[in-house]
Amino acid sequence: MSSKNKSLDGANKIKVSESVWKKTLTANAEWPDKEEFLDVIYWMRQAIGIILGLCWGLLPLKGIVGLLLFVVVNAAVIYFYVNNFQSIDEEEYGGMWEITKEGFMTSFAGFLVTWIIMYTGLHGNDSL
Amino acid sequence: MWSDSLLIVFISICTAFLGEGLTWILVYRTEKYQKLKVEVERQSKKLEKRKEAHGDSLDKQHKKKIEREEERLKNNNRDLSLVKMKSMFAIGFAFTALLSMFNSIFDGRVVAKLPFYPISWIQGLSHRNLSGDDYTDCSFIFLYILCTMSIRQNIQKLLGFAPSRAASKQGGALFAPPPAQFK
Repeated sequence: MSSKNKSLDGANKIKVSESVWKKTLTANAEWPDKEEFLDVIYWMRQAIGIILGLCWGLLPLKGIVGLLLFVVVNAAVIYFYVNNFQSIDEEEYGGMWEITKEGFMTSFAGFLVTWIIMYTGLHGNDSL
Repeated sequence: MWSDSLLIVFISICTAFLGEGLTWILVYRTEKYQKLKVEVERQSKKLEKRKEAHGDSLDKQHKKKIEREEERLKNNNRDLSLVKMKSMFAIGFAFTALLSMFNSIFDGRVVAKLPFYPISWIQGLSHRNLSGDDYTDCSFIFLYILCTMSIRQNIQKLLGFAPSRAASKQGGALFAPPPAQFK
């Protein structure tokens, strides 16, 4: 009985995660669960951090320009996604600042790690 | 140099999993913790909803109810942190020992090249125990801290051990002075 329940649980989980993916990629989707939407923003941030870290390391971008450009691109992508793609009422989430803050530090740390490692591997012997 | 930095990433992934595993054994799987966590989450959500609904109303009865619930939530939150605390101490000691071991292994070694000049108060960390004046040289500890910051939190979230937003929001508010209307 319990194993049956567990397998049902698993199936439900897969269904839920499928629908979250679908909603994430659909414009103006309905988000009844605020937590779910904030989680999407969080993971999107992490992905952006790592992708930008890889790009900045490959280019390579250096110094304050790289750092500032990360902050700007990161905030801009999320702002565009929330306002233009999903058309979310930001007041429901406590203002744009709350959404901008969501997962920022973690994504920044992830960005720094990938940027530093890519840069070290490809351009470690160049001088700044 | 590259292998060193990749090794550090690997080390921090391992220590993050080890830390979460140990916390799971000592805390997360215990019945007391699970019960308290569910309770705190339920109460936080309820309180938030109630505050939203009656936030501006001056009704004394509502205020009293909210106050009582806040008190209950506070107590539960305190119990929850007490349950966590003991094992956190044990894990903290183990990790300090591990960190000092890694520190001595990587002592004086440049593990990565920073693509930027760190500002002065970070230089102490990023250039710790390194010789030379090239501040773009990166020490073990700086890279390890960055890795831990990103990896540990993501693993916690992935495994579902991170505290929920409602709970941390209410929890954070508990340490702030109570708003005047509830005095």
